[in-house]
Parts: sequence; C-alpha cells; structure tokens
Amino acid sequence: MSVSVSISDHETGAEQVPSPPRQPLRRLAVMIAPVVGLVLVFGLWELYVRAAGVRPLTLPPPSRVLRHVIEEPGFYWEHAVITIEEATLGFWLGFAAAVAVATFMALSRFVERATLPTIVLLQSTPVAVLAPVFLIWFGFNIWPKALVAAVFCYVPFVTNAFTGLRSIDENAFELMRSVSSSRREIFWKLRLPHCLPYLFSSARLCLGLALVGAVIGEMFAGSTGGLGNTARVAQTRLLVDQLWGSIFVLALIGVVANLVLAAVESRMLRWHSSQTTRR
Amino acid sequence: MEGTTVPQSVVRPDHSSDAGSAGAAVSLRGVSKWYLGRNDHTHALSQVDLDVSAGEFVSVIGPSGCGKSTLLRVVGGLVPYETGSVDVAGTTPAAARRTKQLGFTPQTPALLPWRTVRRNVRFLSELNARRAAREPLSEKDSVALLETVGLGEFIDSFPNQLSGGMQQRVALVRSFVLGAPVMLMDEPFSALDEITRNEMRYLLLDLWARTQKTVIFVTHSIPEAVILADRVLVMAPRPGRVVSIEPIDLPRPRVASMEDDPQYLEHVRSVRAALHAVSVR
Repeated sequence: MSVSVSISDHETGAEQVPSPPRQPLRRLAVMIAPVVGLVLVFGLWELYVRAAGVRPLTLPPPSRVLRHVIEEPGFYWEHAVITIEEATLGFWLGFAAAVAVATFMALSRFVERATLPTIVLLQSTPVAVLAPVFLIWFGFNIWPKALVAAVFCYVPFVTNAFTGLRSIDENAFELMRSVSSSRREIFWKLRLPHCLPYLFSSARLCLGLALVGAVIGEMFAGSTGGLGNTARVAQTRLLVDQLWGSIFVLALIGVVANLVLAAVESRMLRWHSSQTTRR
Repeated sequence: MEGTTVPQSVVRPDHSSDAGSAGAAVSLRGVSKWYLGRNDHTHALSQVDLDVSAGEFVSVIGPSGCGKSTLLRVVGGLVPYETGSVDVAGTTPAAARRTKQLGFTPQTPALLPWRTVRRNVRFLSELNARRAAREPLSEKDSVALLETVGLGEFIDSFPNQLSGGMQQRVALVRSFVLGAPVMLMDEPFSALDEITRNEMRYLLLDLWARTQKTVIFVTHSIPEAVILADRVLVMAPRPGRVVSIEPIDLPRPRVASMEDDPQYLEHVRSVRAALHAVSVR
C-alpha cells in the first residue's frame, strides 16, 4: 500500500521509479501451499496403510473412504442436511442469545457483574452432559441437538461480543458525547460496528463448535438421523466405511462453512486491519 | 498547504456573525473543580477566570496535572464543576453541548475505521441532528475542505489506508464540518512527529482563518502555543490555576518564516519563563 500525498512525498525527482519485482513462482507457491499440506497428509496416510498392511477395520485408506462416499451420495446428503440444520439452528440461537446478553452487559455494570459468573460456570461445565437433559425436555426432535450446539456457541460469542461492545475507542466515545449523542446512537454507530470483527472471529470458532454440538446431540440425545447418528450406528455394527465416511463429510461441511464465512467476512470487514493484504 | 484554493462556499459568510458579535464567546467566572477520590482529593481548577472573545484563538499550556484538559472539558460540558459560572456561546456548557455548538477535537484522530474519509468527516453532523442549533457544512463543502488539506485523493479511503498525519487532518476537517462556533482542541497534534506537527499548525490556522471560529487549544508545546494563538494561557498545578496570560501580537496570517522572528522568539522566551517559574516552585 503506497499512500503518499504531495506534501509528505519524498519524491526523488529525476531518479527512475523501479518497476515492482515480479515473483510469479512465489505467488503460485503461496497459493497452492494449503493444497500441498492436505495432499501430503492424505498421501502419507494412504501410503502408511498400504505399506504397513493395516487392517481396514483399524484404519481404512482415504481413497477407500472417498470411493465409498461417492458411491452413496444420497445417503450422506440426507444425513448431512439433518446435521447442518441442527448446527445452523444452534449457531444462530447461540449467537442471538449472546448478542442480546452482551448488549445488556455492555450497557450496565450491574448486569455485567451478575452475568459473568454464569458464563464462567457454563465455560467450566462440560456442556455435552446437558444433551440427555434436553432430550427429556424436548423429546426426539431437532431441539435437543440444536440446543447443545447453541450452548457450545454461546460462551465464545458472548465473551467476544461483550469485549467488542465494551472496548470502544475512548476518544471516539468522548467525541460523541461532545455533541450529546444518545445512547442509542452510541450503540448503533460505535459499539456495534466496533464489535463486528470480534463477532466474526468468534463465528469462525463457533462454526466448528456448532457441528460438534450437533453431533454430540445426535449421539447422546436420541436421534435417527444426522452424521453423528450414522457414525454411532456404524461403530456398533462395525461399518468402518460408513464411520469414516461420516467423519469425512462432517469435515467437508466444516471446511465449506469456513470458506463461506471467510468470504462474507472479507466483504463486510474491508476496513479492518485483518483484511489488508500482507506484504 | 501548497497554495490550494478553496471554493468560496467554504468561506462561510453565514457564520461571520459569530466573529462579529460583541462580548465573549466563552466566559468563566471563579470556576473551581475538585476530583474526589477515596483517600485524596485533587483540586483540579481553582478560581479560574477567563474570557475568550468570538473568533479568538487561545492556547492553554502548562505542566501535566495543571488542569488544562479539565478546563477544556468544563467548557465543553463534559465534566461538571463545583463553583463559579461558565458561559459558552451565550448559554451553559450543557446546553451548548446539547445544541451542538461545541466542536471537540480529541488527542487521537478517533476516526471510525469502518467509515471512509468522506463519511468520517460527516460523522459528528449525523449525530443528535435534530437539536443542532447550526447547519453543518454541506457534503460538497466537506469534500472541498478535504481537498484543501490535501486529501482529495483519499476521500473514499478507509482510515487504515492513511498515515497518522493524514488521519489527524481528517479529524481536523471533521471538527470544522460540524459548523460549531466554539472549537475545543485537546492536544490534537501530540501523537504526531515534529515535522508533520509543524505542518498541521499552519493547516489549522488556515482552516481557522477561513471559518473564524473561537478556538481553545490545549498543548504541551511552547512554539505551538505561541505561533497559533492570540493569547497564551499559562497554567500551574496543585491547585490547577491560571498564572499568566501572554498576549501574542504577531501579525496574521502567521507563516512559518515568523518562527525566526525576534518578536516570536521573545514570546516563546516569555512563555517559557512563566512555565519555568511554575515548575520550580
């Protein structure tokens, strides 16, 4: 980024401006690096299984798992949709609850002090054990799984949202006070936009957590569908392909969700330092 | 700035009444202010009297803890005071603040990173807009002012694409766009390097001359205080008070070459002596 203005420019007059160095190879390397990492891991896995003659029941080669998934697209699609629905519902439930609570925390010291211990409590509890409770409350439907996912997402969302709403620029705050800006204006024009990068960074974490929550819900809160369920069934019946197939599809969902989030983030946070290109 | 011309619309004739009106734009009478702690109390301001006429430029200088920032915030209605009376633009500080008659410039640019330069300079105008006693500068005039300070190319840039000096220029324009008759500046150039800082002084003088605002300018720098102001207020700490007022009779417009002027140097020496007397006590 070359920002300069005539007044602060140190132009050297006659000297010729050098053309920027061209490094096509280096750029290509940077672009394909992630692919290289993945290919390496799966390649070594494949190689090890074949060379050491590992039994497929212990660890099938990735090529076999992939072939299995491709042969059964309908089966995996059906269950992926169930898990995605649960995780999405949980993600947004956790998000909405967290933003609402964080807003009240940011506006009132009392609410902040009253709420913090409950967050610590929730953070310290292995919330997966709530799955059976939610099952008793809501029965065999989407809600127990979505709620487990929501509880997983709630803590990172609420702590980050609160930090984002609270840690505003003091000078900007005073500037707004100097024209008698209302609390509402301060919230919408200062606190909330300032909070956005915090929400995005926690969203990245919570995408994974929502999937974990949904899968745990499917495993412990009674289910007849979803990839957590297919994995659990596969384990009891020693269907090793289906077990690993479920894992692969879950991983794929996580990756795609992250890519979508990254795209949204780079559009919405163009102004943020995290989005400026590294030099 | 390298001889930029400003459209006539920026030289705002409709505000000329501010400068023309008789009497003080800001007036303090026997103002005292305490900060009450659990164990210790700070006498931040003691019996401060001050009159700033409309269109005047007053610098406030003094060692840390002398209450100069507090003075600015009392005038701005940002902190309460215990005794005395304060009159700003013909009303109380609180009322002046409510009706947006005060243009505050903080120590840092405090730009909103998610707003472009264009939208940052309009920011204060958007807030509390219904109660504003004065019209802010129009979008066109705001842009013209940005061009005046050399930011014409950066109108649609985000703050993280600007250097520190450029950000401070945006902050200055922002405070002028508000259109408030009284400007309160709290060491706005303190975070800048010396060279940029020097440029900013003349830029500020240029903007001030075009708009004829009343300015109270808090600073740590003696040369800055002298070259900018009509009068320099020297303050002392414990308790915070005004110890001397130095009138600066340098002609206007002030230009950089005046910094070699014996008259200017004499003022600098005199302010330094007043400050020295305060700090050795």
